[in-house]
Amino acid sequence: MSLAVAGRIARRELRGGIAGFRVFLLCLALGVAAIAAVGSVRVAIQQGLEREGAVILGGDGQMEFTYRFATETERAWMEENALEVSEIVEFRSMVVVDGPDGAERGLTQVKAVDDLYPLKGSVLLSPDIPLASALGGEIPGAVIQQILVDRMGLEIGDTFRLGTQEFRLSAVLEREPDSAGGGFGLGPTTIVRTEDLAESGLIGAGSLFETEYRLSLPEGTDLQAMEDTAEGLFRDTGMRWRDSRNAAPGVERFVERIGSFLVLVGLAGLAVGGVGISAAVRAYLDGKTPVIATLKTLGAEGSTIFAAYLMQIGVLTALGVTAGLTLGAAIPLLAAPILSASLPIPAAFGVHPGPLAEAALYGILTALVFTLWPLARTEQVRAAELFRDAAAPKFHWPRGRYLTAVILAVLALVGSAVMLSGIPTLAMGSVGGIAGALVLLIGAAWLVRRAARRLARSKLVRGRTALRLALGAVGGPGGETTSVVLSLGLGLAVLAAVGQIDSNLRTVIAEELPQDAPSYFFVDIQTDQLPEFLSRTRGDPDVRRVDTAPMLRGVITEINGQPAREVAGDHWVVRGDRGITYAAALGPDTRITEGAFWPEDYSGPPQISFAEEEALELGLELGDRLTVNILGRDIEAEITSFRVVDFSTAGIGFVLTMNPAAVAGAPHTHIATVYAAEQAEAQLLRDVASDAPNITAIRVRDAIDRVTEALSGLAAATSYGAAATLITGFVVLIGAAAAGERARVFEAAVLKTVGATRGRILASFALRSAFLGLAAGLVAILAGGLAGWGVMTFVMETNYRFEPVSALAIVTGGAMATLLAGLGFALRPLATRPARTLRGRE
Amino acid sequence: MSDAVLSLTDVSLRLDGNAGPVDILHDISLEVTTGETVGLIGPSGSGKSSLLMVLGGLERATGGQVLALGHDLTRLDEDALARFRRDHMGVVFQSFHLIPTMTALENVATPLELAGAADSFERAEAELASVGLADRLHHYPSQMSGGEQQRVALARAAAPRPKLLLADEPTGNLDGTTGEAIMDLLFGLRDRHGATLVLVTHARELAARCDRVIRLRDGRVDSDIGAQREAAE
Repeated sequence: MSLAVAGRIARRELRGGIAGFRVFLLCLALGVAAIAAVGSVRVAIQQGLEREGAVILGGDGQMEFTYRFATETERAWMEENALEVSEIVEFRSMVVVDGPDGAERGLTQVKAVDDLYPLKGSVLLSPDIPLASALGGEIPGAVIQQILVDRMGLEIGDTFRLGTQEFRLSAVLEREPDSAGGGFGLGPTTIVRTEDLAESGLIGAGSLFETEYRLSLPEGTDLQAMEDTAEGLFRDTGMRWRDSRNAAPGVERFVERIGSFLVLVGLAGLAVGGVGISAAVRAYLDGKTPVIATLKTLGAEGSTIFAAYLMQIGVLTALGVTAGLTLGAAIPLLAAPILSASLPIPAAFGVHPGPLAEAALYGILTALVFTLWPLARTEQVRAAELFRDAAAPKFHWPRGRYLTAVILAVLALVGSAVMLSGIPTLAMGSVGGIAGALVLLIGAAWLVRRAARRLARSKLVRGRTALRLALGAVGGPGGETTSVVLSLGLGLAVLAAVGQIDSNLRTVIAEELPQDAPSYFFVDIQTDQLPEFLSRTRGDPDVRRVDTAPMLRGVITEINGQPAREVAGDHWVVRGDRGITYAAALGPDTRITEGAFWPEDYSGPPQISFAEEEALELGLELGDRLTVNILGRDIEAEITSFRVVDFSTAGIGFVLTMNPAAVAGAPHTHIATVYAAEQAEAQLLRDVASDAPNITAIRVRDAIDRVTEALSGLAAATSYGAAATLITGFVVLIGAAAAGERARVFEAAVLKTVGATRGRILASFALRSAFLGLAAGLVAILAGGLAGWGVMTFVMETNYRFEPVSALAIVTGGAMATLLAGLGFALRPLATRPARTLRGRE
Repeated sequence: MSDAVLSLTDVSLRLDGNAGPVDILHDISLEVTTGETVGLIGPSGSGKSSLLMVLGGLERATGGQVLALGHDLTRLDEDALARFRRDHMGVVFQSFHLIPTMTALENVATPLELAGAADSFERAEAELASVGLADRLHHYPSQMSGGEQQRVALARAAAPRPKLLLADEPTGNLDGTTGEAIMDLLFGLRDRHGATLVLVTHARELAARCDRVIRLRDGRVDSDIGAQREAAE
């Protein structure tokens, strides 16, 4: 084989232009662009988070405590090591506004600050006044986010209460620099000064609040060393350290995950494009049959011909990938103003080589996977065979080395996706899903063709010429059935899977949960307020059930004397503080699965009853000893039983229950769940809040709305990814329709010759398009349903229910898309004069 | 009234080519009577196939009048022409022009179905049997030889029992022996069904089997004589 000769042949062949490769280039460019764009946005956000870490965190470093303020020792260490220390107190409370019809209440996340806040960045208020002056005044000032201001019907200058303290709304909080650093908040933010809360009754012993000490550190401080020292000194007291290197771990993790997920959706798009790429290369090579035959006649070896065409495909791949990268890099740059405005976090938009290289790698590997097989035919098939091959290409396995190359390229593609996605299991699942869907679709295409062929021959359709012609075309050789079912089917399957999962999640959240979910969570109920609270709620005929439990918060620091994180890794139970309760006796709904619950009058060494499922995940056994830090005090206790805890009912559920004697002496409050009729909820809230202004009520329906809202955003992002896949599918579809146009022109000419009218021919074309779309849609529903079932059953661990509305929309959409593409390419065949077409083929 | 099935008066055909309009046929006037077999001969580019296409309404004459079975083909629209062919005409091409996505049986049954025949498949099967393809009913064109494909095309043209059979070099793509067999079939079909046959051919021996031979040159009728005389000349 001579590479130089192959190169010269390739160059001469390419002089003919790239007109036949529009679908090839478009498919590749679209797939690469989608992946490059998603990756670029992901990196832009990650870099933004890194660059603005200190602002997002609100300081260079932060020490965080639950339920308490820093001790004198801790405070002294901070003062010693930091240039400035700012103290923030965060908790949930109720904004109370007196109106003509009584008091209105709204849940809020209170951020109580000192004069140094914010250490980094700035707070933006409307009207644009300094925070210090907004928080000052005879009646202490406060700023609240617009959404709550609107909900409560407040105007600037109006007063409201937090607990028993009155505040004056001095401005609307437009932006807080450190909003992305925190977790998932259930209420809009209200900022006040900590000292103004002294008389509010909200921050007392046992109240649920968190303190954050933001540290401004000297230039060049070694953050890792600082973290190590702080952890060494204070970790066992429940201190949690964060610094500007990882200011918003939740956001970063979320962005990384959703980014990786969308890249995987993009890979599905590339796979769809691959079908188009393969079809384009096959059609190109079919057209090149005389050239290949002539070259063989002139003495060119098969390997030379293969190399020549591989080089051509290589050049085209480079073109497609470059176009895709250009588009993928440009889209985030062009959309930067819109994206920046809608993102709550800073993003460093620019050209990022990493994600572009990743997208290019995927593009090149996909092109290889989908072109090697058709290219291999050029070497293997004899020239004479190629001449006879046009009408019904015979199936040939490529030679061993090409088959090996295809397998290696597939493995490289899968390996890259697994390694680069950062979520190997999801990547494996997705790639497996795509491969499974492709196999399913190939099988379905075969079945569709077979069924159509059978039906075309059956007596049922005799006399229905248009229908039989359509079925004959769908089932006959050399048609577009396989490529349409594959490309459109895979695109629709991704969309169907997203639709099924989304609607199932919504059903679980919106319908199933509220049936047995409480109306309200009440938190911060002081022990002396409990009797009155219970008499009000249990005395209400509209309240069907009230559960209460004492609530403390603590950190599991050690398991059997070993640091908990070393034993349990990153499991959520040992990450940060957890709710802990105590109980003298087992509740009526609680079931012990192993061990025994302590006697009601037990007063011996501390014991723990642990949630069974979490214990299993952590590898805990009866007799294991846990050290739990509660309010700075270490309590070592033995696990003496395991319980079933069902978190799905939204009722009270604690992973850790201890015997009363172990913790009851510590300051604590109580939480309660109240199950009330919907019409009684508002009055209940008014009564409880008037009796005890410090109690915070969280309406479960509102919380569910927030979760649903977050889910909508996720579903929308995924739908955009799926839409890119679908667009690629549509391009392939149009490519297939365009490629089939010549055949349809001929068919129309013959049909006209034997007496078919244009209406009949059009009906036949329309029917075959609709059949193909319908088939693709049905297979997509099957594949999407399978994916939905898998995700709901194995990932979400809940029931799967087939969702017919989105499924119907997808089948209809599929049929309409093929119909449109088919009809678009039916005009020329209908308009062509038979004589010219037929003579042109003589 | 004349018993002409085809009557052409001053027919001309001008087509748009890459280098501008090209006059293919010039003022052709002729009549073909019922049951006649007419051979159209002439050198390449003389307009034989174009004339056949005009006779079949597959190409629209740009001047003159084409009457077929009393219908003025120049006045019929595309669909009316299709219906006319469905009811009265069968066409056979040099390159067979079978629909590749249909089996032999389906190809032959299609014109019958279009004509609304209730027994289209039974008739198609019988027609295929009459051309010796009873065992190839469910084969696709790509699975058959050239001779077999042309036999399917013959069966398709003859199945609706057309009054007019037009054949455009039906043996042009076949070897001598196969071509001869096809011509035997074609003339046999014509004899059985009593159709009028117009045949474009290059082969003198084929033309000699016709009642009448029309020679074209440069788009004009050069001679129009009996086949015996043409053979003698």
